[in-house]
Amino acid sequence: MAKQFMKGNDAIIVGALAAGCRAYYGYPITPASEIAHAAALHFPALDGVFIQAESEVAAINMVYGTAGMGIRTMTASSSPGFSLKQEGLSYCAGAELPMVVVNIDRGGPGLGNIAPEQADYFQVTKGGGHGNYRLITLAPNGAQEMCDLTMKAFDLADRYRNPACIMADGITGQMMEVVEIPEAIPVPYDHTAWAVDGTPATNKNLISSIVLEPEKLEAHNLKLDAKYREISEREIMWEEYCTEDADLIVVAYGVVSRIVYSTVDQARAEGMKVGLLRPITLWPFPSPAIAAHAARDVRFLAVELSTGQMVEDVRLAVNGKAPVDFYGRCGGMVPEGAELLEQYRKVMEGVVSS
Amino acid sequence: MAVNLKTLAHNENLLTGGHRACAGCTGANILRQLMLTAGPDTVVGSATGCMEVVTTIFPYTAWKTSFIHSAFENSAATVSGVETAYRALKKRGELPVEREKINFIAIGGDGGTYDIGLQSLSGAMERGHNMLYVCYDNEAYMNTGIQRSGATPLGAHTSTAPAGTVKQGKEQNRKDLTSIMVAHNIPYVAQTTPYHWRDLATKVEKALAVDGPAFINILMPCPVGWHFDTAIGQDLAREAVESNFWPLFEVEDGVYKVNHKPKDPTPMTVWMEKQGRFKHLFRPGNEHLLEASQQWVDLQWKRLLRLEESTNG
Repeated sequence: MAKQFMKGNDAIIVGALAAGCRAYYGYPITPASEIAHAAALHFPALDGVFIQAESEVAAINMVYGTAGMGIRTMTASSSPGFSLKQEGLSYCAGAELPMVVVNIDRGGPGLGNIAPEQADYFQVTKGGGHGNYRLITLAPNGAQEMCDLTMKAFDLADRYRNPACIMADGITGQMMEVVEIPEAIPVPYDHTAWAVDGTPATNKNLISSIVLEPEKLEAHNLKLDAKYREISEREIMWEEYCTEDADLIVVAYGVVSRIVYSTVDQARAEGMKVGLLRPITLWPFPSPAIAAHAARDVRFLAVELSTGQMVEDVRLAVNGKAPVDFYGRCGGMVPEGAELLEQYRKVMEGVVSS
Repeated sequence: MAVNLKTLAHNENLLTGGHRACAGCTGANILRQLMLTAGPDTVVGSATGCMEVVTTIFPYTAWKTSFIHSAFENSAATVSGVETAYRALKKRGELPVEREKINFIAIGGDGGTYDIGLQSLSGAMERGHNMLYVCYDNEAYMNTGIQRSGATPLGAHTSTAPAGTVKQGKEQNRKDLTSIMVAHNIPYVAQTTPYHWRDLATKVEKALAVDGPAFINILMPCPVGWHFDTAIGQDLAREAVESNFWPLFEVEDGVYKVNHKPKDPTPMTVWMEKQGRFKHLFRPGNEHLLEASQQWVDLQWKRLLRLEESTNG
């Protein structure tokens, strides 16, 4: 397999191309613009299309149009631009259209800055747009996963006819690492049953999210809810490191999980039994895995690049059975290993000495 | 209303030095010239863009006047709100008499004006707010890494319309935003450059004097995005006018006036060959693109002259 040194943002386009995506619509924003640059360079050369929209609103609705034809399509942005896409995403989820959207999370609120954050967790996982919908959300922590999880996201989006999101912090987007270029895979889905592609076979189909009669809209919502329950049961992804005997389980995703990973062995050398539980899907959240650990004598520490968002899901999963602490940096600040070790010591005071 | 350089030079510089604009940036010249004429009793609202970023790096500001920033697509809407609040205060007699004449200026780059902000700009102009909108047009999204915009000219290389083996830069002509603003039937619309300081100052003065909305489009040569020597930005502004690529004109209550008619317009290639963004167009095989650029400029110029003739008849 060919290997290449590249930015996480570029790896997203490598994954998209391998997944058979040939339609990209985007709008400039730092620190996500490299995704559009790579798409502009590679999509037209591979008989695909790249269009720079006049706004984020236009970009997500172009995606809506292409997805409505049953064609794999995507868009990418960063926090303020992702906010602009929310109305479109709600319509896409309502009309049950598969697509991949990428959010390279930067500092907020407002214009904030272009440094990394994870403060869009609520917006992405709880539904930034209106109505009863969910975004399947995957959180890569390196360039290889930016590629691989993008491929996975296309598959999940098609399988469940729902938008899937890659949520990565600015560091994971900008960081350069070696990426194994995957083989291109065929698109195994036939969308003639619902897509509208201008052929007689699809003339009876309708792409819409308007359901005026309350009884029917309730039924539509319950159908979506059943789908979301199925996704929650089947598609949770997470990773654990040294959690079996851990007294302290650190829950972290994205670039923070990389920093935590590097501190686990150091903590153990000091006699602190620390482990890492890393959600790979943020929605559905790995609540069952966390709940299983909470049943024994253990503490949790959620570490995030926010003032405390994912920690709420950790607390819901733990359901009061174990203490849950939080440590966060924000505004583009990223914790260092020594800083985290200090937090572990504080949290484990009394636990370590016993 | 004759503009006098001596008077202008004595006016307070309301955009202070120490901002973070690039070497050779002509945008800072535009803002300084704008504010020399507008004066301190001015509220400036700006969309996200390079000039907003370089002048307001938190916690510093280069502006010695009221400044309000809002999201990319909302500069005109935000200033609409400021101007409406001002009118409400004035109506209720809650403004001191000495504060009764305030200028409201919204600014945005070409991305924030031609593209994402066009809707809010159109709304503000149609509603008739007493405000001036200034577009600093450097013909691409320079702040985020030189992506193409509706203002990018045909054939220019950008990061999202790259010149390579398959394509030769942007495939479309630029959008004629100034004409779109004329079509809003507002009292004052104009086009200028920072090289033509007297023209710029006169136009700002006129725009702020009218009762109702005004729009000025200002070409802003950008060394980073256009790829030229940082010393020649103002020369490129002048040559854009001398080649008829960027005519100096104004439209007062629907009547066109072309402020400068080059006796012997320079060919577009003279202006283009100094800019790296057009470099690939001078390679063998791309002659037709150079011709297309010239033809388009000639057509626009003829159209402008006809508009001047017909509206002055």
